Amino acid sequence: MHTSLLIIGGGLSGLAAAIRLARFNPDVLILEKHSRVGGLNSWYYRHNSLFETGLHAITNFAPPEDKNAPLNRLFRQLKLRRKDFDFHEQLASEICFTNQETLRFSNDFDLLLHEISSKFPGCTSQFIRLVETIKEHDPFQTTPFRSARSYLTGTLNNPLLVDMLLCPLMYYGSSVENDMDFNQFVIMFRAIFLEGMFRPHGSIKDFLDRLLNHYQNFGGKIRMQAQVAKIIHQGNKVQGVELTDGEVIECDALLSTIGLEETFACLDTPPLRKTQGVRLGFVESIFRLPADCRESLPTDKTIIFYNSREQLLYQRPQSLVDLASGVICFPANFQSLAPQPHFEIRTTHLANYSSWKSLAGDKTAYNTAKSTIARQSKTTVEKIIGNFTQHVVYEDTFTPLTIERFTAKKEGAIYGCPDKIKDGIIGYDNLFLAGTDQGFLGIVGSMLSGVSIVNQHILSRL
Amino acid sequence: MTRDEIKDLILEIIKDIDEDADFNTLQSDLPLRDQLDLDSMDFLDIVMELRKRHKLQIPEEDYPQLASLSSCVNYLEPLLKNI
Repeated sequence: MHTSLLIIGGGLSGLAAAIRLARFNPDVLILEKHSRVGGLNSWYYRHNSLFETGLHAITNFAPPEDKNAPLNRLFRQLKLRRKDFDFHEQLASEICFTNQETLRFSNDFDLLLHEISSKFPGCTSQFIRLVETIKEHDPFQTTPFRSARSYLTGTLNNPLLVDMLLCPLMYYGSSVENDMDFNQFVIMFRAIFLEGMFRPHGSIKDFLDRLLNHYQNFGGKIRMQAQVAKIIHQGNKVQGVELTDGEVIECDALLSTIGLEETFACLDTPPLRKTQGVRLGFVESIFRLPADCRESLPTDKTIIFYNSREQLLYQRPQSLVDLASGVICFPANFQSLAPQPHFEIRTTHLANYSSWKSLAGDKTAYNTAKSTIARQSKTTVEKIIGNFTQHVVYEDTFTPLTIERFTAKKEGAIYGCPDKIKDGIIGYDNLFLAGTDQGFLGIVGSMLSGVSIVNQHILSRL
Repeated sequence: MTRDEIKDLILEIIKDIDEDADFNTLQSDLPLRDQLDLDSMDFLDIVMELRKRHKLQIPEEDYPQLASLSSCVNYLEPLLKNI
């Protein structure tokens, strides 16, 4: 068969790219390797309940009337009516460096400003100037890597404040160890601190279903469990793909959202460039508890980014996992959610892919390591939020191997390779890259990635 | 199409992009972008809608000619005269 645009990957960037094109030309086909869409942000069922994967919160909150906000621009580009979506804003979140300092923030930026002026009074004017710079900076230019950490160190002159500001931004969107590109920092600072966090009504499945319906209403097609074995090309011109079952699908243009190295692995000729640096892996746990113990835990905090070392280490740990820092998310603590019989606590920590990989051959050792890490995660988190272990009715832990298996992200690195391909051009006439390795991260970011690559490279061809 | 029909077509396309767009104070000689808070991504939608509805291929170098409502009409009038 033949299609105008073929998209590899039904994650959020692939879905958004597909909708964007299908608005003008329905001859689009998405190939999704897994049996469901969403990629990193998906769901599964256990004991007749739906559990979300990936999603803690969506960043880039904006009220409908703020037309130029990334969220509303995204909705317009996809022809989705913002008013048809019910969003729940976060209550408040916290950056908690134990025995050092705590900063609260919410979707009202004044809270963070107030916290910084009362806890870091010597840095207030520098921080206000930094915010002005962030508001004026154009982060979408394709410039070489520039260290956000050295910029902040020079500007704020306070290592603790620098670490505290970087902590949530790195955890929610840095593929680089202990740092991030200044442009990426600006995007994430706006997304998390200036705009804020929310979650969709219902579950991520409801959100994905709506996107998929919208796409199919435009006439777009999707195939599940369709894995690309190779990309067929002659020199720099792509003709189509061959699936693992041997079927060949021809296309005029191909958009890959599966990552740079993952895409190169499907091509005949060796990569033009090798990606460098460490891929960051994570361990995520879900703990489900009955509603009646909610009151003994924080009910006013949505997400806590914690660190218990003197300095924050956002890097691949030597051992299976680094529990000294991480993220604690309460998906029940968003505004106006209806009470449920259960609620969840989710934890995220940096992990070492190779250490987990070395256990993969020994099922018992792997499972033992998984439950040990989950137990240690609980004990660590209890010191910050209070005891809950005895009430857990269900728990599950995803290692970098789990993430690699279900999302096909190499080494389970949710933020992909450290060096990004901002313009989506990877050396082929009609093959482009969108999604994680293009560089816009988070749900709104990855969707904008799909939209912008289609706008720049695909729309004009059709 | 007459000039008025072209004008209505453009406004209809914009309404389709942003249903809250307010045309009451719109001045035809001033840039649409500033008056209606449109960004370059929205602008691309006008071009794409013209292509979808009337098979018009507008080259990128001509985009500046779509800046205001009256320049849109001037530019599109010869292209849409037989429709």
